[in-house]
Amino acid sequence: MAKKTYDLLFKLLLIGDSGVGKTCILFRFSDDAFTTTFISTIGIDFKIKTIELRGKKIKLQIWDTAGQERFHTITTSYYRGAMGIMLVYDITDMKSFENIVKWLRNIDEHANEDVEKMILGNKCDKADKRTVSKEQGETIAREHSIRFMETSAKANVNIERAFNELAEAILLKTAGKEPGDPVDRVTVDRRPTNTSKSCCN
Amino acid sequence: MLAVHRDVLNIVQAKFLSAEIVRSIHLNVFTLEEVWSNENRILALVEYNKSFALFVLIASKQKPTSISDLSVETVIPVDEFFSCDTELVEESQNHIIFIITYKKIKRAFKIEIGLESSNFASEVIRSKEHSLYNKPSFVWLDKYIGTMSQPSRSDVSEQDDLPITRHQIAQGQTSINRESMLKYHLKLKEAEYTQKQEFTIFVGTWNVNGQPPTIPLSNWLAFDDNPPDLYAIGFQEIDLSKEAFLFNDTPREAEWHKFVTEGVHPKAKYKLVGLARLVGMQLVVMVNNKHYPYVKNISVDTVGTGLLGKMGNKGGVGVRLELHNTSLCFVNCHLAAHVEEFERRNQDYKDINARMNFRKSPQAIKDHEQIYWLGDLNYRITELTTTQVKTLLLRNEMVTLLKADQLNQQKERGNVLLDYEEGDISFKPTYKYDLHSDTFDTSEKARPPAWTDRILWRGRGIYQVAYRSHMNLRISDHKPVSALFKSEISVIDPIKYRKVHEDLIKKMDKFENEYLPQVTVDQTEVVYDLIKFREPQSREITIANTGMVPAEFEFIKKLDETSYCKDWLRIIPYCGNINPGNTLYDFDYFVLNLLIVGEKCDVKLEVNLETDHQKLYDILVLHLKDGKDMFIIVSGECQKSSFTSPISLLCRISVPVMQVPEEQWKLAEKLESSVRYSVPRELWLLIDHIYRHGMKIRDLFESSALHEEIIRIRDWLDFGSLDPFPGTIQAAAETLLLFLSYTKDPVIPYELHDTCIAAASNYQHCKQIILQKVPDLHRNVFLYICLFLQELLKYQNDNGYDAKTLASLFGDILLRDQIRNSKPQASRGKANFIYNFLVNDLSTSIIPAK
Ligand SMILES: Nc1nc2c(ncn2[C@@H]2O[C@H](COP(=O)(O)OP(=O)(O)OP(=O)(O)O)[C@@H](O)[C@H]2O)c(=O)[nH]1
Ligand SMILES: [Mg+2]
Repeated sequence: MAKKTYDLLFKLLLIGDSGVGKTCILFRFSDDAFTTTFISTIGIDFKIKTIELRGKKIKLQIWDTAGQERFHTITTSYYRGAMGIMLVYDITDMKSFENIVKWLRNIDEHANEDVEKMILGNKCDKADKRTVSKEQGETIAREHSIRFMETSAKANVNIERAFNELAEAILLKTAGKEPGDPVDRVTVDRRPTNTSKSCCN
Repeated sequence: MLAVHRDVLNIVQAKFLSAEIVRSIHLNVFTLEEVWSNENRILALVEYNKSFALFVLIASKQKPTSISDLSVETVIPVDEFFSCDTELVEESQNHIIFIITYKKIKRAFKIEIGLESSNFASEVIRSKEHSLYNKPSFVWLDKYIGTMSQPSRSDVSEQDDLPITRHQIAQGQTSINRESMLKYHLKLKEAEYTQKQEFTIFVGTWNVNGQPPTIPLSNWLAFDDNPPDLYAIGFQEIDLSKEAFLFNDTPREAEWHKFVTEGVHPKAKYKLVGLARLVGMQLVVMVNNKHYPYVKNISVDTVGTGLLGKMGNKGGVGVRLELHNTSLCFVNCHLAAHVEEFERRNQDYKDINARMNFRKSPQAIKDHEQIYWLGDLNYRITELTTTQVKTLLLRNEMVTLLKADQLNQQKERGNVLLDYEEGDISFKPTYKYDLHSDTFDTSEKARPPAWTDRILWRGRGIYQVAYRSHMNLRISDHKPVSALFKSEISVIDPIKYRKVHEDLIKKMDKFENEYLPQVTVDQTEVVYDLIKFREPQSREITIANTGMVPAEFEFIKKLDETSYCKDWLRIIPYCGNINPGNTLYDFDYFVLNLLIVGEKCDVKLEVNLETDHQKLYDILVLHLKDGKDMFIIVSGECQKSSFTSPISLLCRISVPVMQVPEEQWKLAEKLESSVRYSVPRELWLLIDHIYRHGMKIRDLFESSALHEEIIRIRDWLDFGSLDPFPGTIQAAAETLLLFLSYTKDPVIPYELHDTCIAAASNYQHCKQIILQKVPDLHRNVFLYICLFLQELLKYQNDNGYDAKTLASLFGDILLRDQIRNSKPQASRGKANFIYNFLVNDLSTSIIPAK
């Protein structure tokens, strides 16, 4: 018997410039909390969260990446194996929006070909400071045929919806494949680890 | 507290000194380890002066009545090494496994879920919590360890500890635990999302004595005013033919089923849930149509205990189901016949229980929340003659008669149907009647009447409202019996259930996230002071375990790189394991009580510059097994040095390297400025110094100088100084070797090494290589060194060097390998090559600098 608590396991990735709110989005989604202090992520971290979609329990393993420029070459090596990627920009920061194109290129180069993508314009609670219009976001999303949503980790706008939609898109895609093949065996592969210098002792 | 519980507690307490207080006990504990016999155990939590210990006691009786019934099996101190956990039992919803871990010891106990277990577990957890705040002493346990029945089982003095359970979580095995956790907690919280709803259950049993159905059954099945919600109707002896017995095939099954279907209460419609039949035993379970959608996990099984202990003439048939959130099991049995065979009947009962397996969880009869046991149990009235029984019946002396009933007697003794309840019997014995009459057996045998046909139950929330026989069904020598129950069924409130379920999932996600390995690093950016040639600097970063589980860390290489760090850095240690602080996990509420004093690990990051760099920069990836990766940035500016610079550059500058303006340096680097010296200024200074002061020094190149001395000489050369040479002559010699070893390119370019070695036996060839293949400035340096060495050899008697020794010493430096220090011994080929230039006249080779 011992049925698993979840039917599927999806690995998702959050990318985007530093300070756009990736960590906050994840924190809001996993812990339903928000903090204004900015501690820039220096590495790659993940959290898990189980959601239910179409009667299926789906365990999401969501990876939060460092957005700082100097880590880009390293972080791209974590793209492989991701089934869904959230590209996040900050609606009050034009530069972060312009960089979306760069992030998309990174995905093309380093992620699985069939990865599901979604663009999030975060911090939509800061309407007075907005420099990127919603239309601009929609346009770029349309150009690349990607889902788009404006979110706020602070005001808890669209956070859950965004993840559910991304997961749903992956679910629809996986559902098309052989039904007998349990998707929960999909291994969440990390990048290759040490081979040259073998472990201690 | 149950009375039994209290009694036993007193007895357990008597086993200890009065200052050693038994805080909590748990009865009926069974170990899961096969190697240990399955005695009845009692767990006792005992406190003495704020220190707690868990005692595993073996009880020689199920209910010990004196301290001699108890013996100490294991003593486990509740201290920092102690932990407890629970796991679900696969085949039973009513039991959990209570796991005690102490260092290497792991014991698992099967206990029933209930108030007792949850009280006990929370007491144990509390005691563990206590032990973290106090520094308990366990000397008082010594006297018990001596009395342990098998002390070797758990050697508490064992020092080697392994955090078993914690580790498993860290390895991502949580998804398995999650499932059992979810089930366990859903069951615990059942009351929150279910409500008890009363269902009427009609249970009937009839031994039909091989007769086909000829009369309607409505007088029996539809006896009550209102239709029941569920029927469970059992028959015995529906077919006594050889065919039925041997092939278990009978047309009667369908016939009786049809009569049952037709005989049920007319005010409701019923749907068949399950039909189980074995030879003459048949059980039909039907449910009111409106409840059918809430019936699930239906399963049937049959057990033969008849001829050869397995044939179906005797035994039991069962149907199990879940109605809403309550598991129900109906067992219809026909036990061994004959007055004196009551022990055989007891055995049949046990066999049915042992062998009936519904192949669905729960699998065993006993693990259902409600069990209804019916059938021809065949227990008789003993010690009374037929006449006596009949007389007592006429006088309605039921008490006397029921006392003589074997079932009551055997049940009383705990031999059968333990923990089952039966309603008061007010009806006449249902066996044995003359056919088509209400007269007890008038045949020759004149068997004494008996209550062979019975209905019992076990489980919570079952209330019997009627228990009777139905005299007017007269086709058999037995009368049918029926019981009507009002039973509490847990009905799930889907909205509340969803909420509880979601909450649990959330909590488990939280739990899982919190149980990921977590560490913090005190700095993610390591900046070195100005990095100088051969002046190692180290920085320490501290990795602290801030999580709940041991953290296994390792610096891993980035994609496309060959090592986890650059060659100028050393990481010590580059992997390791850091234990967490003391944490407590209260499995009742998912509350994490933290007492974090996580262990730390200092990692030394040492830079050592031995090659030419302006700046050192790298991002290290610190990986946690099953967890996150952290980046650590190491960087530092490097100081220019003549060491590690190219010969071709040094020959183009006329001042110490630190005095060279940036522009000039760049031009020289690009070889765009003119050559100022035929050999680097620094080389000349070193050799000149030795030439003047060291030619007669014995073992000049063999003593190693102080590190600071080398550094001083390095700075003297790089910054330029009017001060005298700042070191001993031996230091000068060693610096010379160092200088030549670290020039950006070796004096003889790498690509010529093989050619040189091949030519070593022929001086002319060697000379040709030097004159034609080696670049001008390198050739100058080479010949300059060789001339110096020839000069040195003139003082052979003083300094003790011969050409062979110098050739091998310098061969490895002038023709140094690309990979530093790959082999310690000198290369004979290289030495031979150099040797040529130490013993031949070089005057013809020297070409003046342009
Ligand atoms: N007003 C507002 N502020 C937000 C929102 N989301 C994040 N922030 C703030 O933005 C800052 C950066 O958020 P982070 O989530 O740490 O940024 P990040 O994308 O993870 O940055 P890196 O880790 O450096 O890649 C923090 O000070 C947050 O409080 C939002 O929805 N609204
Ligand atoms: Mg971040």
